[in-house]
Amino acid sequence: MDLFLAQLLNGCALGALYGLFGIGFGLVFATMGILNAAQGAYASWAAIIAMYAIELAGLPFPLAALAGIAAGGAVAVLVDQLGFEPLRRFGPGNHQAAMLGALITSIAFWIMLDSAAGLMTGQQSLAFPPGSYPATVFQIGPLLLPAMQAVSLLALAVVGGGMHWLNTRTRFGAAMRAVGWDPVAAALGGVNSRVIVVATAGLAGGISGLAGILAGISTANISAGLGQGLMLKGFAAVVVGGYDDIRGTAIAGLLLGVLEVFCAQYLSSSWRDAFAYALLLGFLMLRPRGLFGGGGFTRA
Amino acid sequence: MTFRSTLAALALAAGFAAPALALDAGTYKVGFVTDNTGPLAFAGTSFTRGAELAAEQISGGGYMAVGAKIELVQKEGAGDAARSIQSYNQLIADRNVIATACCILSPIAGAIKPIALNNKVPLVIYGATAPGLPSLPFVYSVTGLPGPAEVAMSKHIAEVAKPKTVAYFVLSDNEAFQGRFKASQAAMEAAGAKTLGVVSVLSADTDFTAAATQAIALKPDLMMVYTTQSPAAGIIAAVRARGWAGLMSANDAISPLAVFKKIGPPLAGVPFPVNFSADASETPKAKGFIEAYTAKFGAAPDLYSAQGYTAIWLIAQGLKSLPGKPSREALATALNKITELEHDVYGGLPMTNGQAGTRYTLFLNWTPDGKIAAWKP
Repeated sequence: MDLFLAQLLNGCALGALYGLFGIGFGLVFATMGILNAAQGAYASWAAIIAMYAIELAGLPFPLAALAGIAAGGAVAVLVDQLGFEPLRRFGPGNHQAAMLGALITSIAFWIMLDSAAGLMTGQQSLAFPPGSYPATVFQIGPLLLPAMQAVSLLALAVVGGGMHWLNTRTRFGAAMRAVGWDPVAAALGGVNSRVIVVATAGLAGGISGLAGILAGISTANISAGLGQGLMLKGFAAVVVGGYDDIRGTAIAGLLLGVLEVFCAQYLSSSWRDAFAYALLLGFLMLRPRGLFGGGGFTRA
Repeated sequence: MTFRSTLAALALAAGFAAPALALDAGTYKVGFVTDNTGPLAFAGTSFTRGAELAAEQISGGGYMAVGAKIELVQKEGAGDAARSIQSYNQLIADRNVIATACCILSPIAGAIKPIALNNKVPLVIYGATAPGLPSLPFVYSVTGLPGPAEVAMSKHIAEVAKPKTVAYFVLSDNEAFQGRFKASQAAMEAAGAKTLGVVSVLSADTDFTAAATQAIALKPDLMMVYTTQSPAAGIIAAVRARGWAGLMSANDAISPLAVFKKIGPPLAGVPFPVNFSADASETPKAKGFIEAYTAKFGAAPDLYSAQGYTAIWLIAQGLKSLPGKPSREALATALNKITELEHDVYGGLPMTNGQAGTRYTLFLNWTPDGKIAAWKP
């Protein structure tokens, strides 16, 4: 039973990273209709910047993490304005063609950003300096909870709750949803679509960046490929959770993490990813709107 | 025949014979598939640097013949099979490339091997460790198989630490590591150490908290790690982060300094077997290599640097034994005759059926302050 609970906790902590990343990924998809393959690179870049902020600038971890999150947001805004904005302005009117163009553009940025991240890390797998982040292990009854696992769970709760509030209870959230639904109609209604899009891109990049930083610590791996693993699982969390519902993404992320860990513990690690993607496939076939998703749905 | 005519005949004979005994002066191109980018770049850059140093020393020192130089022609494989094969094909398309070297991963080496055989190009594998890769007279491996060294370390641990129970971490998607694990497991069980469980992980895994929890729950006396570098480092870090302070062992993948820089003190006290270490290898050739490498690259060499270095020296030794301007086939035949490397950093490197084997294994560990020292339980 102790092992079951310990692995449940591990699964939730891992799933918190997927959920967190998925929130950022889903935000872009829901607001801008872009299946952004470069989103994983924002996570890598945020982790790299945060690590160098500690190593080179000597910043304490919280400030370094903020620097990383800001970097993730900045890269996201840059990609959006350089890559996606021209498509929005001058791209094809056909919705599906526009989505395909955005997807290809995002793949190009993904490859370029990953290559540049590889140069930044000297093509090595690096890590935050030992002792630079909270490493306490809490004992809760028979369970051990490393501080960074607690931080990951807390981050998902705060970011998930905060984004849900922002999305459903604020004017900014209403504007985001309006732009996501129809940018032209939103503009006619007085919403400055471009500002909303830029702010959403920055927010999504920052959230993915936070996921990257936490993943970089919990896996002791900061490299150009860091975001790729998050990307696939984050995408699965968005689909399973419902692409326009933050609560669903968070819960689906947790579900994926627990499924992955239990699969490795009680079945086989070789089957782990197969189960995760079988879940994704099952939702796509049986409930394409996901756990909490709305009725409007456009496949990429 | 007068004395003068005899002298003239001898001089003439010498004039014709002398060039035929030595390698012609000139530049000999060696194709080198690098892994300086991609998931294996942590090791790939070391292999390349070792090879570059060897080429420089061989060319500058006149080892093969006066004026005979080696030029390393590098093409990137990025640890990717398709790209490595493409790079390899580009290299051998140049008929001036007389020999080739490649591959960290065994599956990639296995894919390139038939290309070398079909095209009759000498290929020296510098990193892949799966048994059976060499194929005479064209394919050679300078990487001592890790299995025997790991079995030796298992026996050593069983003897000095006397563990009664063992849990193993094994890559389930890597046949070579499966084989190495099974050989060590057999040695441990023969010494009376019972297997409590095997925790499988995958090469691409990055999160090992669940795997660590699984192994700790088994409550073993010893945990043995049979994975590549990143998983090995991640597993040790995760196990230590969860407060388990028992005995762990790993393989040579954790020996490079970059791993200690990444993981830090949790790596201390984890023994690993190696046949070369900049901190522990003491033969004159090893010391010369360490000194030259450090001077050139500003950092001490690791075991991967030594392997890249050795690959080029093997090719040079084959070329040195040939007269004139040899063909690829002639070089392959010459390499096949080598039974012992002349210039090695391991204190002896016998070649048997194209496969290098080392005579000495060091059992080392990291100290908490980042030094490498002989392991003591």
